[in-house]
Amino acid sequence: MKAWLRKYSLLLPLVVWLLVFLVLPYCFIFIQSFFETDSFGKTIPGVSIDSYQRAFSNSLYIGTIFRTLIYAVLVAFLCILLSLPLAYWIAFKVKRNKTLLYTLISLPLWVSYIIRAYAWKIILGKEGLLNTFLQWAHITDKPVEYFLYSTFSTIVCLVYILTPFVAIPIYTAFEQIPKSLIEAAKDLGAGSFTTFRKIIFPLALPGIISGGTFALVLTMGDFLSPLLLGGPNTLFISNIVQNLFGTSNDRPLGSAVGILILLLIFLILGIAARSEKKLSSLKSDSR
Amino acid sequence: MRKIFSAFFTSAMLFFACNTGTPANNTADTAAVDVSKLKGSTLNILCWEGYAEPVFTKAFEDKYGVTVKATYFGSSDELISKLSNGGSEAYDIISPSTDVAGDIVAHDFVAPIDTKSISQWDSLSPQLRNMNDVIKDGKVYGMPFTWGPDYLIYDADVVKAEPTSWKVFEDPQYKGQVSLWDDISNIYLIGQLQGLDKTDKAALYNMSDAQLQSAKAELIKMKPQIRKYWATAGELDNMFKNKEVALAVGWPLTVAHLNKEGRNLKAVIPSEGATGWIDRLMITSGSHNKQLALLYLDYISQPENMAKVLSAINYNVANPGSERFLSADDKKIADASQFFDKLNFWQTVKERKKYNEIWNEVKSAQ
Repeated sequence: MKAWLRKYSLLLPLVVWLLVFLVLPYCFIFIQSFFETDSFGKTIPGVSIDSYQRAFSNSLYIGTIFRTLIYAVLVAFLCILLSLPLAYWIAFKVKRNKTLLYTLISLPLWVSYIIRAYAWKIILGKEGLLNTFLQWAHITDKPVEYFLYSTFSTIVCLVYILTPFVAIPIYTAFEQIPKSLIEAAKDLGAGSFTTFRKIIFPLALPGIISGGTFALVLTMGDFLSPLLLGGPNTLFISNIVQNLFGTSNDRPLGSAVGILILLLIFLILGIAARSEKKLSSLKSDSR
Repeated sequence: MRKIFSAFFTSAMLFFACNTGTPANNTADTAAVDVSKLKGSTLNILCWEGYAEPVFTKAFEDKYGVTVKATYFGSSDELISKLSNGGSEAYDIISPSTDVAGDIVAHDFVAPIDTKSISQWDSLSPQLRNMNDVIKDGKVYGMPFTWGPDYLIYDADVVKAEPTSWKVFEDPQYKGQVSLWDDISNIYLIGQLQGLDKTDKAALYNMSDAQLQSAKAELIKMKPQIRKYWATAGELDNMFKNKEVALAVGWPLTVAHLNKEGRNLKAVIPSEGATGWIDRLMITSGSHNKQLALLYLDYISQPENMAKVLSAINYNVANPGSERFLSADDKKIADASQFFDKLNFWQTVKERKKYNEIWNEVKSAQ
């Protein structure tokens, strides 16, 4: 009993924290999603599935959830694409200053999200750095408007912000691959690419999946990037949730949409965890 | 001018009003006893952007040794949402517009104002101070502060000819150079464009389902023209500043801010007319600083302070007595009071939730 207590008492602060600030609020959101509102937005306790019906019947809600999911998959994919060579380079090609380079990846995280989002305005605007350069180099004759206030700029910003979250787990996965396996592959005559495809990539897959999941889930919950950099057609599901709570004052519907996003994210996490487990041991790779 | 002076003469506060050096001294003597206790406290104002500029709040802070802290809301709905989520206690003063003022009073978010403590009360424009949407059971819940139009703002360096219709937003020449406010008021705008308020001004605020659908279709049709829907006045300022947009619906403060920086922005009321707003200052029912809030209302309604408000953000103010403190340029803005009757002032929207959903559907349309 005493041993049991000692073992878990270290977890107690976190458990209490999560219970009070995560589990209880979710329970509250769940309960609130069955409430109704009067015309002024005041919630009336009750058991009504009206909010869920509205969420499913109007493409504004259900359609935007899936559109955001597509954007999230795209962001995760781009982050992985950028992180793979970077992590590979640091893990296998760099001999000295590995820690420094590793720290540099996380350096952008030290600056506030909003400031970094604003920085993109300066880069991508009509009179921004990129457009000025393109015109100076005579690549375009007038500013490309699509660079800013569009889904493009929103995705660019998200990829930029989330890449560290993807690069770090991938780098860690690369680091854990026994060097002997790579040497063995080389001894057996495999080139760099074959070694990567047959040895490194499969072994790093759990890291890639967990990094990608980070990017995916964080994009699903992001509303700042579309708010600051999005155009008239950019609307993520979190913007709608924020609007339902902060503007339309329809908390039951906001809660219902929130619960639907939560379920979708649980599903994604479940799939990710399962595939990570399946791929995570050396032995399971029987080829 | 004569009118103003006669207002002063009829005012029982004549003597004090002329000693304008220390206007807030006019408040009831009972207040003076407690004033020292207020030192160090913070007055929290939840208001539209521009309503707590240091230019006119600084003197109040210095006088009472207090801090004026402003939080901005970006839309009437945001204000309601903040109030119904506990904002009534967190803020002392709010600045609702005519579209939600009545609802705010009806839902007891605000406390009645002791008009006797506001020395300039009788000098405030009678038309504004007698509006019955903020009078309940004979008690007054709002002090008129400012009013103005939702202008068509354009960058005169880009748009050479003065636009005469809101239809200029649909002109292919300005594709991707238009900005609308991220707010349900765009639905009023389309209603006005379609002439719904020709006979009945209230029609914009009580649109039928068919009319709402038509407005939605029109707003979706307009989307390729839009650069971005602005969420705050500051964001619109920035877009004009960086030449991201040339046309927008917006408020006088954007023109005031940008032209002070040497830009050439102009504002017009197109032939279809424009909507407008009358903003009142109210003291929240949950405020812990009611006395200080009342002192602020008294302070800000003084003609010289109202004049400072006008010159900082170019909004028309509720105290006509402010005119004699205005520069020649600012007087021109005050003269715009002749367009008061041309504006269709925001009214309560009963189907606000539906308006909001329509607006969200516009934004999500691809």
